[in-house]
Amino acid sequence: MTFSRVARVRVRFPWQRPPRIKPPGPPRVAGSLLRLSLALAIGYSGLAAGLVFWQVVEASRLTNDPLNPLVLSAARQAPRGTIYDRSGRVLAHNVGGNGVPLREYPYLVAAPVVGYRSGIFGTAGLERAYDAQLTGLISLRPGDELLRKFHDQPYNPSDLMTSLDVDLQRLGVDLLGDQRGAVVAIEPATGRILALVSSPTFNPNRVVDPGDGRQYVADLRERDDSPLLNRATQGLYVPGSVFKIVTAIAGFSSGAINASTTFAMQPEEYESGFLVNGFRIRDFPRRVQLDHPLNFYEATEVSSNIWYAHAGLVSGPQNLLDAASRLGFGTRLPFELPTSPSQVTGGDGPFGGFRDEVELANAAYGQAEVLVTPLQMALVGSTIANDGLLMRPRLVDELRASDGSVTTLGPQAWTQVLSPFDAQVISDAMRLAVEGPFGEALAGAAKVPGVPTAGKSGTAQLGGDAAPHSWFIGFAPADAPQIVVAVIVEGGGAGAQRAVPMAGDLMTYYLKELTGS
Amino acid sequence: MRSATPTSANTRPWTEAARALYRIGIRPRFRWQELGLLVVVAIALVTGWASLESFRNGRLEIGEAGLLATYVAIVFAIHLAFVVTGRRMDQVLLPTAALLAGISLLLMQRLPQDLVTQEIAGRELSLGPLQLVWIAMGFAILAVVAIFVRSDGWLRRYKYTWAAAGIGLLLLVFLLGEVTGGARLTLRLGPLAGQPSELLKVILVVFLAGYLAENRAILAASSTRLGPLNLPPIPYLLPMLAMWGIALAIVIVQRDLGAALLYFLVFLALLYVATRRASYVVLGLLLFVAGGAVLYGMFPHVQERIDIWIDPFADPQGAGYQIIRAMYAFGRGGILGTGLGAGLPQVGDIPSIPAIHTDFVFAALAEEMGMLGALALLGLYALIAQRGFRIAATAADDFRALLATGLTLVIVIQAAIICGGNLRVVPLTGITLPLISYGGSSMLVNGAVIGLLLALSDRGVEPPPPGTRQNVIRRLGRRARGFGGRVEEAIS
Repeated sequence: MTFSRVARVRVRFPWQRPPRIKPPGPPRVAGSLLRLSLALAIGYSGLAAGLVFWQVVEASRLTNDPLNPLVLSAARQAPRGTIYDRSGRVLAHNVGGNGVPLREYPYLVAAPVVGYRSGIFGTAGLERAYDAQLTGLISLRPGDELLRKFHDQPYNPSDLMTSLDVDLQRLGVDLLGDQRGAVVAIEPATGRILALVSSPTFNPNRVVDPGDGRQYVADLRERDDSPLLNRATQGLYVPGSVFKIVTAIAGFSSGAINASTTFAMQPEEYESGFLVNGFRIRDFPRRVQLDHPLNFYEATEVSSNIWYAHAGLVSGPQNLLDAASRLGFGTRLPFELPTSPSQVTGGDGPFGGFRDEVELANAAYGQAEVLVTPLQMALVGSTIANDGLLMRPRLVDELRASDGSVTTLGPQAWTQVLSPFDAQVISDAMRLAVEGPFGEALAGAAKVPGVPTAGKSGTAQLGGDAAPHSWFIGFAPADAPQIVVAVIVEGGGAGAQRAVPMAGDLMTYYLKELTGS
Repeated sequence: MRSATPTSANTRPWTEAARALYRIGIRPRFRWQELGLLVVVAIALVTGWASLESFRNGRLEIGEAGLLATYVAIVFAIHLAFVVTGRRMDQVLLPTAALLAGISLLLMQRLPQDLVTQEIAGRELSLGPLQLVWIAMGFAILAVVAIFVRSDGWLRRYKYTWAAAGIGLLLLVFLLGEVTGGARLTLRLGPLAGQPSELLKVILVVFLAGYLAENRAILAASSTRLGPLNLPPIPYLLPMLAMWGIALAIVIVQRDLGAALLYFLVFLALLYVATRRASYVVLGLLLFVAGGAVLYGMFPHVQERIDIWIDPFADPQGAGYQIIRAMYAFGRGGILGTGLGAGLPQVGDIPSIPAIHTDFVFAALAEEMGMLGALALLGLYALIAQRGFRIAATAADDFRALLATGLTLVIVIQAAIICGGNLRVVPLTGITLPLISYGGSSMLVNGAVIGLLLALSDRGVEPPPPGTRQNVIRRLGRRARGFGGRVEEAIS
């Protein structure tokens, strides 16, 4: 048996043709059809994938695109939601019942926050950020969009309950007067925006006016003081000394400096200046009244550029950039209104991002190429006030849909920027900068009577003959902060001249309003 | 239980009627599966109609359902004709086509009626009624072809004549065609206007089926090598290169990218089915890519199509407008859709998507019936593919198999090209969605395609008893064939 099996094996030599397995002639058509079906199945799967992509994955983005005619159609079908301030005052509502209702804005001071909704120019501000919720295109009930077709009223517009305090907002506007500048006030524990002033601003009622709106907006665009720009979130300013708080955060959180850090050569450098690679950094003589090396508290109180230049250099470029990026520098802030990213340095220089040590030393006290938005600086103050924990800034507390459902947007922690202990040390130094014997001369006007107040003023040099920007960031009460303010007055001179007293008035007003006295 | 006697008594009138029909050469045959499916289709369409009318009028009602009733009557009449003539044809194709055309009627009834108006027989008809006229004509052709086409000889034998007729048609369009929407598509003869590219696709399939069935043994064997590719003898390659050239010519002269793409894909698929040689497909795709690259460089209208495909938002108010609006429509539809009538066909007087009733009817459907409805529509085309391939697989010979495959492919691939264009899966080209889009030429030709598929699926009917009338017809037929044969010889 074994033998016979072996005998049946044919040996095929290389020169012999392989045995023909396939029958002669072309393959049967039916066999090819299976493979063709497979190809078709793949093609149709691609179409199905396309359907899923547009109708499920991208559906809500497409539906809320401001160019989508559905947005117009929904605006016709459903009354737009109302926008309220924190005590229930109406910031935006509909007037005129026939056809597409017009929006009316009773508080002009809220324009940079509320924005407008115009048939010609579309939307801006909160009207833009929450357009889908205000028209009811996005519903608060989960699954509502899916089941919209089964409802009588397809759209479910929501009212916005904002954290804005119109009185505080108006005070900010009044204090700025006809000067250009911005004010941001935040509740540090929650990130709620209490006031967001940008001056000059526009009249939203005239923007939405169907008759005169076009001309009005054209005129606004002509003006060279950019009234349509929201300076509080998109204006980029040289910060000057208020940026020293960021340098302090970088130094403390990296361990490069502590509260008792001193720089031995400092007393001599008062006279000669601190020479960094041939660049001389000076302090204003009147601030320098101590003949010993300053520690962190003293340096912050007198706002010593030399001490902070040293601190920036010992912290190093990477630590400064890291701390800044934890605070939100370099990105658009996660906020309801569009923001500009703040920067510590302009380029990608060879010295860890900076051009050289000179740039780093200057950046450490807020000059060089540091550019910040007022909102960003308010967040810096808020971080210190809230024990090192940065909360996400936001304007809207609650959405109330017309069907009665309510969505509350609770406070959201964003980053733990530095330890609570370090934050407390910086807070103490900032309190000295307002209330200390030397600080009082610089920022004493920010003090809320009878309430411990912390802060840091700044005088941002712009080079040439241009008057410096007047800056202040601070909070009160220093031991249990309720309000953080950041104030900038363009060309307002030294911090003490304009921003400091303004901040004092704002904090005083708000704390009095809060305690109800 | 009753005894067999009363039952046979009951069926006596039936058998009498059947005998009478037998005497004139007809053997009725019930088509229960088709009837059942048609009832389901009718219920679905009535539900859709009621949904549309209820939405429009704000309360549950069926409204003016004259159009729908007419349509359902036509479909059942065709079913009855199939039953009476005793055809043993596929029983799924007619209900599938009936559902597709019914959805088309619903959509056309739903879209703004003044998108198209035309005067027919002294009456001014708008979109919905007009589409019903086209559907009725298309289904009439479907029925006539399915019932009366008993032999494929006239298709099989005169393939070169068909090809010549097709090229002639193409030339006629080149010379006399009217330009609509940037493409030279419409041929007008007196009061009649049509788009010959629709007819051309059928002619092409007939020619290819004939050619490939005859030569596929040679094509499948290789004798020429070109680099890594095994190719058939050069003379047999020529028709394929000609095909490629025709596709290019259509793109260049007619500016009809969709038709060119359709012809070329159908051609490649048929070539593969006939030879099962992937190298041909690879070569074909290489030629396609090369041709596409050259066309992209040379012709702005090709370039524009590709650029819009890649980034429609580059020019949202101009070139990208249509496709962006379609994307919005898909997004609005979501998973379940807005419901029939509740979509957004127009804002003010501007239709939401230009050409929504022809090129973008899929987007309109996906908006109102949602992703599930659109997937179901794709499923219907897949069902046509399954039935068509089944007919091909069980066909008696190569010609019939290739013909059935090709006819199936022109519907299925055309649907894929335009749906893919709507969905931005492939660049957008302007062709119709078979059996759905508004249009006379498209409905007539696709009706004929389904009819031919049905005829091909007929599993033989006993030849009717001879009669004098038929002999006359046969004699005439023989003479015609003699003439046709001489023409064919002359061409080939």
